[in-house]
Amino acid sequence: MGITLNFSVILTEIIFILVSSFIFLIDKFVKNKNYAFYITLVTLILASYLILFVPFGEFTYAYKADFYSSTLKLFLVCGALLISLLSYNYLQYYISLNSGEYYGFLLFSMVGAFLMLSGMDLVTIYLAMELMSFPVYFLIALNYAYNRPSLEGALKYFIVGSLGSVFILLGLGIIYYFAGTFVLQEIYQVLAQNLYLKELLIGFIFILVGFSIKLSLVPFHMWAPDAYESAPVPITSFIAGIVKFAVIATLVKIILLGFNPLKLEIGEVLIPIILASILIGNIMAIKQDNIIRMLAYSSIAHAGYAGLGIISADYVGYSFTVFYMLVYLIMTIGIFGVLVFLANFKKELLYIPNMAALSERAPFVSLLILILMFSLAGIPPTAGFIAKFYVFMSLIKTKYVWVALIAILFAVIGAYPYLRVLKVVYMDKQKLEFNFKYDFTFLIPVCIAVLLVIIIGIYPKPWTDMIYKTMYFYISSLFYSF
Amino acid sequence: MEILLNNLLSWIIWFPLIGILIILFTNRKNESFIKWVSLITIIIDTILSIYLLINFDFSKTGFQFVEKKHWIDFINSYYFLGVDGVSILFIPLSTLTTLLCILISWDSIKSMVKEFYLALLFTNIAMVGTFCALDLVVFYIFWEAILIPMYLIIGIWGGPRRIYSTIKFFLYTFFGSVFMLIGIIYLYIKFGTFDYTILVNQKYPFLVESLLFLAFAIAFAIKVPMWPVHTWLPDAHTEAPTAGSVILAGILIKLGGYGFIRFAIPMFPQAAIYFSKLFLVLSVIAIIYAGLVCLVEDDLKRLIAYSSVSHMGFVTLGIFSFNPIAMKGAILQMINHGIVTGALFMCVGIVYDRTHSRAISYYGGLATSMPIYAAFFMVFTLASIGLPGTNGFIGEFLILLGTFLSNKTMVVFGATGVIIGAAYMLWLYQRVFFQELNPNVAEMLPLKKNELIALILPTLLIFWIGLYPNIFLNFMTTSVQNLLMNLR
Repeated sequence: MGITLNFSVILTEIIFILVSSFIFLIDKFVKNKNYAFYITLVTLILASYLILFVPFGEFTYAYKADFYSSTLKLFLVCGALLISLLSYNYLQYYISLNSGEYYGFLLFSMVGAFLMLSGMDLVTIYLAMELMSFPVYFLIALNYAYNRPSLEGALKYFIVGSLGSVFILLGLGIIYYFAGTFVLQEIYQVLAQNLYLKELLIGFIFILVGFSIKLSLVPFHMWAPDAYESAPVPITSFIAGIVKFAVIATLVKIILLGFNPLKLEIGEVLIPIILASILIGNIMAIKQDNIIRMLAYSSIAHAGYAGLGIISADYVGYSFTVFYMLVYLIMTIGIFGVLVFLANFKKELLYIPNMAALSERAPFVSLLILILMFSLAGIPPTAGFIAKFYVFMSLIKTKYVWVALIAILFAVIGAYPYLRVLKVVYMDKQKLEFNFKYDFTFLIPVCIAVLLVIIIGIYPKPWTDMIYKTMYFYISSLFYSF
Repeated sequence: MEILLNNLLSWIIWFPLIGILIILFTNRKNESFIKWVSLITIIIDTILSIYLLINFDFSKTGFQFVEKKHWIDFINSYYFLGVDGVSILFIPLSTLTTLLCILISWDSIKSMVKEFYLALLFTNIAMVGTFCALDLVVFYIFWEAILIPMYLIIGIWGGPRRIYSTIKFFLYTFFGSVFMLIGIIYLYIKFGTFDYTILVNQKYPFLVESLLFLAFAIAFAIKVPMWPVHTWLPDAHTEAPTAGSVILAGILIKLGGYGFIRFAIPMFPQAAIYFSKLFLVLSVIAIIYAGLVCLVEDDLKRLIAYSSVSHMGFVTLGIFSFNPIAMKGAILQMINHGIVTGALFMCVGIVYDRTHSRAISYYGGLATSMPIYAAFFMVFTLASIGLPGTNGFIGEFLILLGTFLSNKTMVVFGATGVIIGAAYMLWLYQRVFFQELNPNVAEMLPLKKNELIALILPTLLIFWIGLYPNIFLNFMTTSVQNLLMNLR
């Protein structure tokens, strides 16, 4: 089997790299800084076109565009599109952020996410993850102009992230020593012969640590509140939504392709991590007064809920994990979109007690907050409920009823922080005057997100079917090829 | 007509959506338009629900007006609606309660009017949906969705301690329902369906059955509320605005009793019989304990809230004695309690709007300054006590009669609750309306038109059910007998 160099498959990534390099190159010489946004927009739309219409294929062994990766990439592109609209809105008010670097890094990070989803061996996935993370560190540090401690957040994220890389490399070493390969499907074949099960599991656990750091699962979550707080607001939604989505989808893929025989053990290893994330995320969120920190802790808890599907060690559970993360991506874009709006017109509003009586000043935005908060808390008829319902279902199906019980009880605790925000917004009486106007770059992404939250909540069928069928086709295609 | 009859339940559930959409795109300054739109929407919805009553066939045992459409095929969940004798009366009760709420809040809600009527209409959708749903997921979604508007109604337009109360209410009921969610998912994993009509005929090992029963019962017991988990109710009732109290008393706590009759008991009959002693004792404790608390309360709304706990104790007493008479009495008593206690809360709301005080000691001699109001209050008081000729008598009498046939001791204790009830209600009436005229209430505005209409409607129903309950009992006869036959 010779190595094929089918460049059309990898065209999206190439275009992303070229465009972002182009932006970096000419950024110094262009006065009107909005150009970067338009270039990014066009690139992302082009990317979605390419994903849809370029046939699947392989680029060497390391990269494969298939049904799974392409579907998820499409979600990522849509998410990035909405986030870049929000960024455009944000950068109009925070002009000291260098718009060229901002969008350039955003695209670079997307390249990493794409390569990660398509990577077929562990080294590619590792490198892609670094490629995805480094621009994010820079993006957080970009906020230096407005928020001096943002350097601290970026550095913290960078150091913790590097630690994660070390763990992953260690895991890679162990896996290579025993399996003699990095390619996922070859690892599967080694495992299928019942060779080195324990050793490879240990190797995988090291990789899992690295992934947990990106997912901000407890006990690797300490960076999250600081990094979230210091980043520009749209970038926070990028970290919480897109990065996590890509990481968890890749984790599912690694388990499906490479470590399938070990999936029960992996599930058991994950139980304490996931439960601790749900517990600590929900409890720590209660007392936070800064809404971004609150959402950071809630994001820890949500990553935990998504991980419940991995515990169930079942294809249906995996698809629900991805579905949960998709819903979380939508909710994140919505809620951080609202925060972009608040930060634009009065930065103090990001402090929860200052949001008092927001409903009287800005009833429409308050209504959006209402829907999104109930969705985050998992109350029907919103998408958040459907997502939780599915992961709990996959969990109970696999006899982990006690895990589901604990997780669901923590969901009751977890409802409180969101209720508190609503309490302040709707029920407290104290006004902070601020003037605002609605921009389309704010309205479009947020309204799309909120509408999706309601639509998925009322009629989830097409969405779950999409994810589940993706997974199903993928699995069946895998087993045919063996 | 054909289209209407085929999807009548969907029409009743979703009709307020039209009102919601119109209000959503109305300028918030245009308050009277918003009020009229919601009023007309609900009147039409009420007419539709009465049309449902007229078309109901008494003789059939199964579900009627059934609608079954694909919803989430993947988990075999359907948009499945239907009513039988147990649930049919609750649907007009829900729409009527919302109608009364709109009338009574006409002038008393002054801030955020748009949100208020949106929340009320949304509540109506969720309430009616809960009573119609026969698919457990659909049921759960409607059941939980009520929390959203109620959280807002109590929290935004409530009294001084509204925030504490609303969060307590939300977390309590949410805590209860997540157990039910686990139970629902377990049933699905076991039998691969959420269809109530299939699940009701399944057999389980006893241990599993009791656990499932308890999972469902916690959710319903908190909603009813039964004795040890009742503490959210006095707070929520007291701090809610009048409309919120009426909805809470009229419909929300009926959902618990309805849940027992519809889901917990028929689906897990052995466990229900096994645990029935426990629930009977809890009911009796609720009746007597809440009655005694009422005797020392000085807060009008709190007193009526505790009297709700006591009356709902009668309802659960009737439900868990597994006797057709008591069961019918329990359903009727739920309707009665919805009408009477809702009306009492409206009465309190009417004077509260004028004086802004709920303390009983603040009032006195109100009968001289508001004679018409006093007459209405008298009717509701007597109905609440259960005087013959009013609906309260029929309900309590049927419950006590039926329970006597199956469990005599409980009736002895339960019946004392009737006496305590008479004591606190009459004493309340005496303190508020007779005695010396308190200068605080010497000058009172007379009843407005909307308030008058809101009080006349329940009065008519009280006498109708009190004097000729046959029509209402006929609705449930077949279904209740069918339900209890399956139990044996």
